[in-house]
Amino acid sequence: MAHSAEPMEQQHGLSPMQYLAIGAGLTLITIVELWVSYSGLGSLQIPLLLFLSAIKFAVVVGWFMHLRFDHRLLTQVFAASLTLAILITIVLLTLYWSADADSIRGYREWLASG
Amino acid sequence: MAHAPAVAHGGGHTTSTGTENRKLLMWIFLGSECLFFGSLIATYLVFKHQVIERGIGPFPVDVTIDGVSHHGILDIPLTSTSTFVLLMSSVTMVLAVYGAQHARMKMMKLGLLATMVLGLTFLGFQVYEFRTFGHEGLNLTTNLFGATFFVLTGFHGTHVGVGVLYLGSMLAASFRRNGLGRDTGAHVEIAGLYWHFVDIVWIVIFTVLYLIP
Amino acid sequence: MATVAGTLAQPTHTGVWSWITTVDHKRIGVLYGVSGFSFFLWGGLLALLMRTQLAVPNGTVIESDRFSQLFTMHALTMIFLAIMPMGAGFFNYMIPLMIGARDVAFPRLNALSYWTFLGGASILSLSFFFEAPGGGWFNYAPLSERPYSDGSGIDFYVVGLLTLGLSSLMAALNFAVTIINLRAPGMTMMRMPVFVWMTFVISVLLILALPPLTVGLIQLLFDRQFGTHFFIATEGGDPLLWQHIFWVFGHPEVYILILPAMGIVSEVLPTFSRKPLFGYPAVVFSGIAIAVLSWVVWSHHMFTTGMGSVPRAVFAVNTMIIGVPTGIKVFNWLATLYGGSIRFTTAMYFAVAFIATFTIGGISGVMHASPPVDSQHQDTYFVVAHLHYVLFGGAIMGIFAGIYYWFPKMTGRFLSEALGRWHFWLLFIGMNMTFFPMHFLGIAGMPRRIYTYDDGLDWGFWNMFATIGSYVIAVSLLIFLVNFFRSVRQEPTAEANPWNAPTLEWGTSSPPPEHDFDAIYTVRARDPLWYDRDHGIAPPEVTGEHIHMPPPSYYPILIAIGITLLGVGALSHLAVSALGGVIAYYGVWGWALEPTD
Repeated sequence: MAHSAEPMEQQHGLSPMQYLAIGAGLTLITIVELWVSYSGLGSLQIPLLLFLSAIKFAVVVGWFMHLRFDHRLLTQVFAASLTLAILITIVLLTLYWSADADSIRGYREWLASG
Repeated sequence: MAHAPAVAHGGGHTTSTGTENRKLLMWIFLGSECLFFGSLIATYLVFKHQVIERGIGPFPVDVTIDGVSHHGILDIPLTSTSTFVLLMSSVTMVLAVYGAQHARMKMMKLGLLATMVLGLTFLGFQVYEFRTFGHEGLNLTTNLFGATFFVLTGFHGTHVGVGVLYLGSMLAASFRRNGLGRDTGAHVEIAGLYWHFVDIVWIVIFTVLYLIP
Repeated sequence: MATVAGTLAQPTHTGVWSWITTVDHKRIGVLYGVSGFSFFLWGGLLALLMRTQLAVPNGTVIESDRFSQLFTMHALTMIFLAIMPMGAGFFNYMIPLMIGARDVAFPRLNALSYWTFLGGASILSLSFFFEAPGGGWFNYAPLSERPYSDGSGIDFYVVGLLTLGLSSLMAALNFAVTIINLRAPGMTMMRMPVFVWMTFVISVLLILALPPLTVGLIQLLFDRQFGTHFFIATEGGDPLLWQHIFWVFGHPEVYILILPAMGIVSEVLPTFSRKPLFGYPAVVFSGIAIAVLSWVVWSHHMFTTGMGSVPRAVFAVNTMIIGVPTGIKVFNWLATLYGGSIRFTTAMYFAVAFIATFTIGGISGVMHASPPVDSQHQDTYFVVAHLHYVLFGGAIMGIFAGIYYWFPKMTGRFLSEALGRWHFWLLFIGMNMTFFPMHFLGIAGMPRRIYTYDDGLDWGFWNMFATIGSYVIAVSLLIFLVNFFRSVRQEPTAEANPWNAPTLEWGTSSPPPEHDFDAIYTVRARDPLWYDRDHGIAPPEVTGEHIHMPPPSYYPILIAIGITLLGVGALSHLAVSALGGVIAYYGVWGWALEPTD
């Protein structure tokens, strides 16, 4: 195809057909997700949904956003921020959902009672 | 952005690490955005169960409180369609980037246009959803589900809107005599990073808000 | 266009317009520094008013509402409008010089950060003409909610901080990219000066910590303007959520305030001890460790909110652990002094005093890491003493060390050492007189933020003592101002490297030319100028090549005006916001299409 004056790093990547195939794959995963959400798989359901969306997330980041082909530094930057975001969310939810959170509830009830 | 020898010239080879400055900036910014949406999602999850305990509807999912069953308000088939639309916009975006990087201007322009149209379609779905919820009695003030839901999806929608404006401006600029200049590939790629990020945020929101009961 | 072919002579830009349109990192640094110092004096004036009110029991200088506004605005001014911008002033001026570059990665973005800062600072400060926020700098819900604070004060707080946050985010992105990408040849990460490292750490902290604050502020804005109930318990919300979100930002913020000073001291001590920093890797990695740990200590601000015993224990341990890297730094600074050939300049006085006073603040910090002790200290003057030893005894001492150290580089002139001694000793004595007795007052039970107290509580003596101390500080600052204005009127006498310092910013003239370096250095070791001196390596040769500098631009200030109007609109009428949005969008277009080379 046409030559480009861009630096080397941008010439990696996939062909348009491959991108379309990835798009089809992502659609397929979304359909599976829908099926899982209606299937009533019990305790497996939530982990499976999280797993499937993590795959979609990783595919978009890795291929559509070229992280697979780009400088490692960019992956590190994004992975570190994402990890921190997830970590803080988990810590916050743990603070709220832990058994100790009873005392929070008590405090809220006390506030609510005026 | 071209100045001194030690300073980048837009290309990838004059910086200390070999990464282009603007692309690095965008990635770090997206890292920052992770924390932004992370905080919004965390807020949603904090209140998710408390809303049901409190018992003032409408609720996101079907619940039965004191023998009275309440219908869940989230419309999963509808949102699956809009999710599909946003996913497809990522495909058209990546094709636009491909076009820009391989000097195929027509492909780039069509890709940008298609991405904008799909983005606007997604926003249309969102407006419809918000209006429907409004008719069913859910708004910002009804309960904490309303507040967290509208603020989270509203800010995501705002990001989509900003993205449409961003791509539209770029599309308009590409019709100038010298198009987007010699950095066309980099410009469109960076816009693409933003657009894909908005898409992956929706992937998370779709799972956490809609699919997980 | 400042391109001059074949010669290194630069046209000198003067006049107000040249400052408004400047994209030169040194000028932006000066703008940040001067604005920050002006706000420092303003914030100090607010503190003097409060100390005057508290000098005697049942003071009648200020009534209670105004007092709440004073302590809130004092904190906001000092944190967001004084210490952070003064740090930003040093980053802007020094980072490109210290890494051997000719500018930051995004010069126009740099200008935009400054003008947006000025917009946010104006919104926050002009609130005094309407109603200043009075909810404390952490603005706890539900006090900050509409039913309890009906006036516009809290709205000024929200909009001001959102604007300032945007400015800090842009600056932090710029500096992160600059430090990663624009280092001179041979300047590996582990050869960077510690100040550059600390700036990098702070940038990362800001980039990651500002979004949670933004989210909290947006939720508060929605609560107040659109009737949501995020933080109102009676409607199903949770006031504790605000505390969590705020301190997720707030604790990294504390390190954002102190790390620049640590970086400055790590430059000043080696130069005036005439030996390299002791344990450079340990200092760098403890800085990184502090940054990482700062994310897992936020709830120590919330020990008394009933989180339960397990979270309390976890956060207590994390908080104690963060004292370890801080201690490592202190010992490394001491070891740098040990055996050194010390020159006691004013900058060195401030740097050594920093170690002492900061350590006092650090130790009282570890004291409240223990939940039972904290329960006693919570909301008393003991906490006020602690935070002022860290921020005044730490951050401000470090910033003054930096001012005396880099003043010759920035202006080509020296500050008077004689007046400098007066400034230092009065500031040091005044600072300890003001804040040390607050430890006693706190343990004696005096609560923070009260506007007056009764006779017979035995708080009168130490309060009067502290008030006298605060006036001593004021006198010392007047001496500094005299020193400053006398110096800038003198003839420039400073050579390139008057202190015989090791880092690259001293490898160019004082003050540096617009393009910073006539020729780019190749870095061979951690202390490049000392290495070159000891190995007989001559400075790099000037080749007379083209040096492209970015042309001035008025789009940054235009976009900043648009952003500020967006904020003002949220306080007044939506039409103003719309106008601001249009201006900002127009500015972005002009920015994007403007030729930069």
